[in-house]
Amino acid sequence: MVNTNADVLGVLFPNSYDSLVPELVNERLMASIPFGGRYRIVDFVLSSMVNCGIDNISLIVRRNYLSLMDHLGSGREWDLARKNGGLNIIPPFAEKTVKIYNGRVEALASILDFLRTQKETYVVLADTNIVANFDFNALIDQHVRTGADVTIAYTEGEIPDSAKAVHGQDVDLYYTIDMDEDQRVNYMYMNPTQDGKVNFSMNYYVVKRELLIDMVNVGSVRGMSLFERDILSPHLDRMKVYGYKYDGYVARISDLKSYFDENMKLLDDRNLDALFSPSPIYTKIRDDNPTRYIAGAVAENVLVADGCVIEGDIENSILFRGVKIGKGAKVRNCVLMQDTVIEEGANVEYVITDKKVTITSGKELKGTDSFPVYIAKHKVV
Amino acid sequence: MAKEIIAMLLAGGQGSRLYTLTQNLAKPAVPFGGKYRIIDFPLSNCVNSGIDTVGILTQYQPLVLNEYIGNGQPWDLDRLHGGVHVLPPYQQASGSDWYKGTANAIYQNISFIQRYDPQYVIILSGDQICKQDYSDFLRYHKEKGAEFSVAVMEVPWEEASRFGIMVADENDRITEFQEKPKEPKSNLASMGIYIFNWDILKQYLEEDEADPNSENDFGKNIIPNLFRDNRRMYAYHFNGYWKDVGTISSLWEANMEVLDPEHSGINLFDDDWKIYSRNSGMTGHKIGKGAVVENSMITDGCRVNGRVKHSILFAGVRVEEGAEVEDAVVMGGTVIKSGAVVKHCIIAENVEIGENAVVGAMPAGEEKGVATVGNNVFIGEGAVIGPNAMVRNNVKGGEQQW
Repeated sequence: MVNTNADVLGVLFPNSYDSLVPELVNERLMASIPFGGRYRIVDFVLSSMVNCGIDNISLIVRRNYLSLMDHLGSGREWDLARKNGGLNIIPPFAEKTVKIYNGRVEALASILDFLRTQKETYVVLADTNIVANFDFNALIDQHVRTGADVTIAYTEGEIPDSAKAVHGQDVDLYYTIDMDEDQRVNYMYMNPTQDGKVNFSMNYYVVKRELLIDMVNVGSVRGMSLFERDILSPHLDRMKVYGYKYDGYVARISDLKSYFDENMKLLDDRNLDALFSPSPIYTKIRDDNPTRYIAGAVAENVLVADGCVIEGDIENSILFRGVKIGKGAKVRNCVLMQDTVIEEGANVEYVITDKKVTITSGKELKGTDSFPVYIAKHKVV
Repeated sequence: MAKEIIAMLLAGGQGSRLYTLTQNLAKPAVPFGGKYRIIDFPLSNCVNSGIDTVGILTQYQPLVLNEYIGNGQPWDLDRLHGGVHVLPPYQQASGSDWYKGTANAIYQNISFIQRYDPQYVIILSGDQICKQDYSDFLRYHKEKGAEFSVAVMEVPWEEASRFGIMVADENDRITEFQEKPKEPKSNLASMGIYIFNWDILKQYLEEDEADPNSENDFGKNIIPNLFRDNRRMYAYHFNGYWKDVGTISSLWEANMEVLDPEHSGINLFDDDWKIYSRNSGMTGHKIGKGAVVENSMITDGCRVNGRVKHSILFAGVRVEEGAEVEDAVVMGGTVIKSGAVVKHCIIAENVEIGENAVVGAMPAGEEKGVATVGNNVFIGEGAVIGPNAMVRNNVKGGEQQW
């Protein structure tokens, strides 16, 4: 191989599962939702790929991708500003006669020429709704060892109620798999609602590039759109599809509540260490100064990024970069995104503020454990 | 393509008065203010002033500095034409030489400067903490029609004899230069930042090099020669924050001043004059249950479970439960174990302070020592480090060092 270490091409679908978090994707897409104090969700899968030597990564975007392009720039911060490969954002063609794609097959059909000209043997397909420090090499190793046509990464666990509750035309499907004792997949369920432990697909797939091209070619000619429903599921008897169980730390964003909970989980050092080691997660650099705690500030059990100025009292909260907490303000169980300002004497509890929200002085705003209040970008309360 | 002005940054100083902190590190690479290194200040000033070509003259322990500067991208100094260049002494057909003095360092790089054919050259120093707009300095230099200008600060008269003093007339034209005078005629101290017209600088560098008795120093040789020839020399008044962090106590003091921008005048939180640096890339810092943080600066990657008061923690510092940190500058990657007490001191990078060890002490009466612990040092359990100690080597558990 000339241009990569891993002989693997990455293809990401940044708009998948947008429908689960309508509030957060109002002005962005799933991939660029802020997470964990200074990251965007896409940072995790991108960094994981880069740390595994995958340095030719394409993102097929669908809509609302301005914030993602702004975040990724040339890809330099992920070491993806490359002459060969690197970062490649593929917007939909803006032609009247062409419909914006639906599903992975149509998306991939739009980049078939690109896929044909690449040199890598394998392709990893991945959604961007999952936060994990994922070892793609282990996934690829198993794929090669088993001689599978397709390998699906999955986690063992219960289906979140929020996922079960959502149904409708525009909603992305989710998948669980049944396997035989050799981990070969013999059944794929779409939007199952059963209780108890299931094998929940992460929608990370490894497949040989040539095979993927064939699948997409045939699939798109026949008007297929969903890779899982239309291509994998009907052919499990003929294709060798294997499962790869992922045991590492994983956070799935399936609605606003889970977004809140998964952020909060990082206040436990064990979770923080599990997610951020051993490999680093890269993100866009903002050149913030260190965070300043001014006399009178009180902080307990908080995860705080650089660039904040704390004069008030914060507890059990996640503060993103550049958040300002005024004198006498009280913050409990909150997720405050970049450049949020909580003015003097304000009192907030169970609140998610999007970027650049201001809570003016003296205001009181309280959600509950089961229903955090969300304040949209740029709003002044 | 000609540049109007380029910068030459003197970064070769050994910084011997920082002792263990500069044992393996050039002084400009010494960490400062939570996430910066000293050299971030002149480099950021250059970029913020529109100067996009900087030569960094290195000589002493350049490895860390070279790696830190890299291609200059963090300062936006990775340019097609210009950008940042590290310039160590190199071998030439006529032989090779260490930089003999500040003027000789520039002399040896005349061909570097010539490549950009600049009208002006600004000479900067890599060991000062200062936010300064060099474009305003240049505007002044041009307005005065000067051939040489020097940035000066008013200092208290009683301290004037510690500095190079510029005596100027009512138009700020410099009439006399006194190097550390016993009886100063003025209180305008040179900051060691000069703007030269390039043709003048080149002429005097060549003349100076030809003089076998010269020490090849700007203050001792070049500036007196300019006076001899009655060149047009002006003093540019600077009123902002400026600190030479050449000693342990001044470095500690400058760090503490960062904690009080309202009074000290060194504001790192200014969005209009950002100080850029290479980022650690660590995740946010975590303040644990039962931790206390007061009047401090905490950087990404820190985990605080003890008490931190009026201190600066650099990236990735860990303060365990029951540990106490006060008036301390704690550099990146250092671990302070539970029950340890760390006060009024500078702890360098990747140090481990063992359980219940004591480092430094709050000033008592006249005693105002700043204890200093060098890079990668291990301080054993229960060890005691006195307020004036300079720790270069590991200290075993229970031992004392004063």
